[in-house]
Amino acid sequence: MGFVLSVSLRLIAGRSFVAWVMLTVMSLPFLPTRLHAQRTASEIVDEVDRLLRGRSSRATVQMDILTEHWTRSMGMRIWSLGTEYSLIRILSPRKDAGMATLKSGEEIWNYLPRVDRTIKLPASLMGAAWMGSHFTNDDLVKESRIIEDYDIEIGYEGRREGVEVWEFILTPKPDAAVVWGRIEEQVRQDDLMPVWVRYYDDRGDLARTMVFSEFQVMGGRLVPAHMVVEPADKPGESTTIIYRDLEFDIDLEPSYFSLRRLRDDRGSE
Amino acid sequence: MTGRLSLLIRLGVRNVRRQRRRSFLTALAMGLGVAVLVFSRALGDGAHEDWIQAGVRLGTGHVAFQHPRFQASGKLEDRLSSEAVQTALTALELPEVREYVAAAASRVELQALANSATAAVPVAVAGIDPEAERHFSQLGDKLIDGRYLESGDRLHAYIGERLAKRLDLDVGSRLVLTGQDATGEIAGQFVRVVGIFRSGLPEADERVVHIPLETARTWLQVGDAVTTLGVLLESGWDVPEVVGRLRVQLVDDQDAVRVLGWREAMPELDAAIKIDDYGDYIFHVILFALVALAIVNTVLMSVMHRTREFGVLRALGLTKHQTAWIVFSEGLILTAVSGLVGMVVGFAFTWIFFRNGLDYSFAFEGDFEFSGVILDTIIIPEFRIMQVLQSLGSIFLVGVFASLYPAYRATRIDVAEAMKFEA
Amino acid sequence: MPGGPWWRIGWRNLGRNRRRSLIAASMLAVGYFSCVALMGWADGLVAEMIGNGTGILTGQLQIHASDYLPDRSVYETIGGRDGTNVRQLVEQVAADPDVDAAAPRVYGGGLISSGSATAAAMFLGVDPDLELHVSRIMNALVSGEHPAAGANEVLVGTEIARTLGVSPGDEVVVVAPAIDGSLGNDLFVVSGVFESGLAELDRSFALLPIDALQALMVLPPSRVHEIAAFVRDPWQAPAAAARLDSLIRARGLDVAAESWTTIRPEMVEYAQLTQSFQWVLLLIVFGMAIFGVANTMLMATFERRYEFAVLKALGTTPSGIVGSVLSEALALGAIGLVGGAAVTFPIMVWWHLAPPDMSWLFGDFTMLGALIRPVLRVEYPWTMTVGAAVALFLTTVLAALYPALRSARIPPADTLAGR
Repeated sequence: MGFVLSVSLRLIAGRSFVAWVMLTVMSLPFLPTRLHAQRTASEIVDEVDRLLRGRSSRATVQMDILTEHWTRSMGMRIWSLGTEYSLIRILSPRKDAGMATLKSGEEIWNYLPRVDRTIKLPASLMGAAWMGSHFTNDDLVKESRIIEDYDIEIGYEGRREGVEVWEFILTPKPDAAVVWGRIEEQVRQDDLMPVWVRYYDDRGDLARTMVFSEFQVMGGRLVPAHMVVEPADKPGESTTIIYRDLEFDIDLEPSYFSLRRLRDDRGSE
Repeated sequence: MTGRLSLLIRLGVRNVRRQRRRSFLTALAMGLGVAVLVFSRALGDGAHEDWIQAGVRLGTGHVAFQHPRFQASGKLEDRLSSEAVQTALTALELPEVREYVAAAASRVELQALANSATAAVPVAVAGIDPEAERHFSQLGDKLIDGRYLESGDRLHAYIGERLAKRLDLDVGSRLVLTGQDATGEIAGQFVRVVGIFRSGLPEADERVVHIPLETARTWLQVGDAVTTLGVLLESGWDVPEVVGRLRVQLVDDQDAVRVLGWREAMPELDAAIKIDDYGDYIFHVILFALVALAIVNTVLMSVMHRTREFGVLRALGLTKHQTAWIVFSEGLILTAVSGLVGMVVGFAFTWIFFRNGLDYSFAFEGDFEFSGVILDTIIIPEFRIMQVLQSLGSIFLVGVFASLYPAYRATRIDVAEAMKFEA
Repeated sequence: MPGGPWWRIGWRNLGRNRRRSLIAASMLAVGYFSCVALMGWADGLVAEMIGNGTGILTGQLQIHASDYLPDRSVYETIGGRDGTNVRQLVEQVAADPDVDAAAPRVYGGGLISSGSATAAAMFLGVDPDLELHVSRIMNALVSGEHPAAGANEVLVGTEIARTLGVSPGDEVVVVAPAIDGSLGNDLFVVSGVFESGLAELDRSFALLPIDALQALMVLPPSRVHEIAAFVRDPWQAPAAAARLDSLIRARGLDVAAESWTTIRPEMVEYAQLTQSFQWVLLLIVFGMAIFGVANTMLMATFERRYEFAVLKALGTTPSGIVGSVLSEALALGAIGLVGGAAVTFPIMVWWHLAPPDMSWLFGDFTMLGALIRPVLRVEYPWTMTVGAAVALFLTTVLAALYPALRSARIPPADTLAGR
């Protein structure tokens, strides 16, 4: 049974949570970009983490996945409203174009254009990885704030490769429901852009790394348009996310995220 | 009439004593058969009791209280409210029930997902009370690393070896359990692995997770509810009795609480035990057939041998009926004596050599799995009054039937012809 | 006839008290029957267990790419990425003398959905025609029919059908991740529902035509995960596996051929335990019979003490007397054996070919993960058949030994004088 589920879950159920992947992993700074030295580490990390919460967004994203057995590049369009609602539609490649995932509250639906059918995914089928990528379920379901779950301190403050940065060390609070033993995060001091995040397991071994780059202004904010996730146990494998365009605070209501729209997005922006 | 009868019986007794060697040999044969019977019954009963114990401990116990729909749905929404639990506990306190109860354990059970930095795996989580569980599932006995849960534990989990491997966990590692709570939301719960077990059952080693009951209740927001209140009895033989009494007591609460015996909760185990019983019955029937033949052999031969004697007796006025009675009682006495001796020998043998158990682990490497239960390769014999009575009864019956034919033959002796025989 | 006239005398002596001889012989016959029948039943149980454990789905012999087990990665097909000529390979496997039939299989995991109900499933792609001869799962239908080759049809387990609320003819969506990273999905029709009795199968398996699953998973027809084979005598499977392993490797394919004895070793252990049981049985049954026969022989010789006395007076040697008594015992044994065999063999044949169904008494159950149906099936226990016969004769001879020796030492004069 475990085999069935690990295979299926790895590849299917998580897709609905791409929005959360984006939301929680993308730590986006808020303008203005000037740093207030009086801010504590917690405040900084919180801002970096919290910026997309409570907001709506719409993005066009390219995801490149490199695994031992195959390589894929997907284009998708993502709408999200807070952490409760999201709609992802795949634009390319041709074979998967039109596939869409809707998360509304606790329910997750997938639309399969090839057969013109919608399937519902029960909560129990939420899985470890999404669409074969290296994002995990743990990334996705987190609806709480990072500072609620972690104690933060500054590990290093100074120059790295010519750039002034902070390196934060995040240790889970005693009861926090998180799987990481430790997280380390490097953030640029002048614009609060994250440079990399390292996730360690309980034993202190590096489990995966995220690296941010291509910092540019999109949708009125400075964001890292390029993000790479690499698992530590599978060298050579990676998932890369590239933002093609991004808008914030668009006009979106919960009613937008309906089954009807899942099936048919004519008239969607 | 009674006076006659006792005379006839005394004659029967004397006849048996007269043919000492023959009687002795027969008694030996029968005694051996009876001894084997006793031995195999004691071990067989012991083995079954073991299997049932092993099975119900990992399951819901000999008797279980659950929400009426829980057995079918397995869902958290079908749980016992704290009032229902109280009702059940009160029922257990009844004097006529309490004497049978060995242990009781509350559980909150849920199908959830276990997440680590490495992977996410579906598991069966049970929120348990460590003290009660120690006597109940005894999963703590299968410990291979760390320790079992203790009272006062809060954020601790006890997991199987295979699960630990899949999620790359050691003792002390962190684990996040996610599942649907009572409000329908997906909730995560952090725990640390405090111990790892190996039960030998792949399913259990991969899927069973024990966490403290209170932790499960808080995580899933179920208050004081439980999904199952499991009860272990002193002996599996009392289950029908206890279930009956509990159902009577709880007849008004049928909508809230359902009482299940293990045979309903674990039909596979039930069927397996039955088939083994079946094999035993066949073996016993064969033994009895042999014993019966031995009796017929001896008694008949002794009758034939004493043809002349019976002829004389008949000539002197003994009726057919009375002749038959003499022979019949000879058979019965033979049966009784050898049966008793056989039983005593059988019990003594079993007790002396095997009271600490018959170990057949030499026959297996590793563990033996039978209908979803890992069996200990030691059988401890069980002696029950019922068993003794049944054995006595069967032997008696065998004796009766086996003596019928010779008695019948004795009546057919033609008096005149008999006189022609040599003594 | 060696032994001279003693043999005939012994034989004839049996007839002098027919009833007694008959009873003693029946004891022996019953003993024989019970040993053979019980052992046959135990063997039958083992055969049933092996048959079900291997016959329902796994097959007695399996061939995989050498790295396929234990993780069962969908990427590890036979012949690697290039695959192989599947038909040729299947034929080669089926050509082995002990193999009756072979079939190719593809495994995948995914989801089946109908309306708003979705179930996780393990997909097994089979060749419907070939698979029929290899495993029994296709015959465990409770409704509908087999999926047709080349069609988008699926055969689901009874628990899946229940979860999804579907029956034959209903449409379902089948989703399976493909080996190129995409998500394979297509519409299928439920062709039928099976019930194997094994909860894991009924709850999570779905069978599809192999080409449909390959298309879904973007596997070319040359790539399969397994060749499963049906070996009629399961105990020949290990040898067949070894043969096929070297044969196929010689062709250049990196495979591992395994039989059920390595895949399910606990079954072998159970079979061995059953074998050891037969000695215990023999001991008990004939241990009891020995007393009965001894009793009979004692009586017989006692009755005839005058006769022996006369014989001795006439010059018969003690060994001659012993000979006659022993021959009588042997003759008794012979009759017992003939009688026993006469009853046993027809019943064994009956129970082997048309085992009575005991399911009105018991339901089905599982042991070592194999479904056992409560039929009174027996296998011919050859060892026991011979063993019980030998034990039978030993019993009679041993039982007669004491009476024989005693008779040989009868003092002729005193006996004849009545003392």
